Amino acid sequence: MIYRENGQFKTSYGADQQIFPIAQDRWAVLAIIAFAFIGVPLLADEYMFRAILIPFLILSLAALGVNLLVGYCGQITLGAGAFMAIGAYAAYNFLIRIDGMPLLGALILGGLTSAAMGILFGIPSLRVRGLYLAVATLAAQFFWDWAFLRIKWFTNDSSSGSVSVSNLDFFGWTIDAPAEKYLFCLGMLVVFGLLAKNMTRASIGRQWMAIRDMDVAAEVIGIRPMWAKLSAFAVSSFFVGVAGAMWGFVHLGSWEPAAFSVDRSFQLLFMVIIGGLGSIVGSFFGAAFIVILPIFLNQMLPALGGLFGVSISTAAVSHAELIIFGVLIVFFLIVEPHGLARLWATSKEKLRLWPFPH
Amino acid sequence: MSKQIGDVILDLQNISLRFGGVKALTDISFNVREHEVRAIIGPNGAGKSSMLNVINGVYHPQDGKIFFRGEERKAMQPHMAAAQGIARTFQNIALFKGMSVLDNIMTGRNLQMKSNLLMQALWWGPARNEELKHRARVEEIIDFLEIQHIRKTPVGRLPYGLQKRVDLGRALAMEPKILLLDEPMAGMNVEEKQDMCRFILDVNDQFGTTIVLIEHDMGVVMDISDRVVVLDYGKKIGDGIPDEVRSSPEVIKAYLGAGH
Repeated sequence: MIYRENGQFKTSYGADQQIFPIAQDRWAVLAIIAFAFIGVPLLADEYMFRAILIPFLILSLAALGVNLLVGYCGQITLGAGAFMAIGAYAAYNFLIRIDGMPLLGALILGGLTSAAMGILFGIPSLRVRGLYLAVATLAAQFFWDWAFLRIKWFTNDSSSGSVSVSNLDFFGWTIDAPAEKYLFCLGMLVVFGLLAKNMTRASIGRQWMAIRDMDVAAEVIGIRPMWAKLSAFAVSSFFVGVAGAMWGFVHLGSWEPAAFSVDRSFQLLFMVIIGGLGSIVGSFFGAAFIVILPIFLNQMLPALGGLFGVSISTAAVSHAELIIFGVLIVFFLIVEPHGLARLWATSKEKLRLWPFPH
Repeated sequence: MSKQIGDVILDLQNISLRFGGVKALTDISFNVREHEVRAIIGPNGAGKSSMLNVINGVYHPQDGKIFFRGEERKAMQPHMAAAQGIARTFQNIALFKGMSVLDNIMTGRNLQMKSNLLMQALWWGPARNEELKHRARVEEIIDFLEIQHIRKTPVGRLPYGLQKRVDLGRALAMEPKILLLDEPMAGMNVEEKQDMCRFILDVNDQFGTTIVLIEHDMGVVMDISDRVVVLDYGKKIGDGIPDEVRSSPEVIKAYLGAGH
């Protein structure tokens, strides 16, 4: 037993509807956020920031957006990469074409453009569902891949097709060093995570989940399917678009359309499935699993080999990495098809009672 | 009973519904009065559920007119029927499986919640107050249905009888004028049926909600309903107070066959 909520009685519905009703949970989460803001910048080195932490934070944000759509509203999408690209290129164009556009303004306008496109490409969801919808959203992916490659206006007529952003200025704070980029991404993720959590516990989140679980009953109860589905597409695309803009601006600095290919869409979908559909924390678990595990394996395997006196070649390591990664995905999906978040929730529930069986 | 049965609130005239060549309902007329318990009975496939689906706008009849509170309805979508005060429960429980009991019943308040998406995302004053106000109302329904102990449980984990109760709670949360119940007691044991009857009568009595009920248990139907309409093969074969219906030769023939 780690902790219990003994003696914590709720006397108002407000207290009962907090995000973390149990005091220990609340403190633990605050401690983790404080550590991420203060402790990590002191401890991590540049490689950690560039290769692991910044991609993890930005892809968490994108996975969060995908989870709102796929996990909460039950509308499958294979176009997340395209919406990242729309966010990135829209923010880029707002930044260079409008004088004095602040960084945050460009990111949010990028997100809003992506949201508008999300509504447009979400319209098929009113007619088709499941795999057919997946194929319809795949159309968005192919269309925008093509558009950003061929329509030169989007890339400001750059000859190589790649665009770049420098001198990130956040209300006078120049985001330059890796630690600063990390703090910026972390701040954005905390804010967006809070927004997502608030939406999912409010009426709009219940509408999405109602559409996901039983759309006929939802309609009979007075939920308009069109509003629920398209708002989910809009909010999800907004999150994914902002994440895409941050991926371009903060992580890559300069990028080509290939950065947001269909591979990215699949990667985000896998994150959400492995992490846990319909769970905020699951999005973070999924992103951590997919971003960090391959790097961890890559670093650990030679060390493990050295332990047994075997030297493993670089090629062998990269093969083994893929094999083990694949095996782990299958393993986790068999152990808990509802994802790492459910595994986490179940173990918390068990620990609450431990060492007693009931 | 002390309650006052009022004027006609829902009037169905010459309703016909076809699916391709299949005639689900043929020329059916009946009305529902305010505050009464109106039962629809009939053998399997008689068109009872189709009738409910017509009333709340899931199906659109090819012929006939529907008057709700004196106004004719046209091209009604289910969510519009809900906005006008028609709620229903389902024969095969149609709860939102991934959500808790509390959230399921809260969805019933959806139509009354007005705060916009941005307010909700920020959990800002009005949105939060609204949420808490409706939570208080939902807790009253939870108390009424005696399901306090399971309010945070995902409905997928509940036994059948309790799920039926949550389904009723979700419909009640809409504070409907008319409550359509599609076999609220199917598959229940005697005690659960008694509980459910008590809830239905209490809803009718305390809130004055008009109830339209489909049920196969004749004992229950004859006990709690004020008037009964009988369907068979999509046609109306009886309409009246329970005693009349029970002694009607046509109804007996439909249920027991011609030989009796």
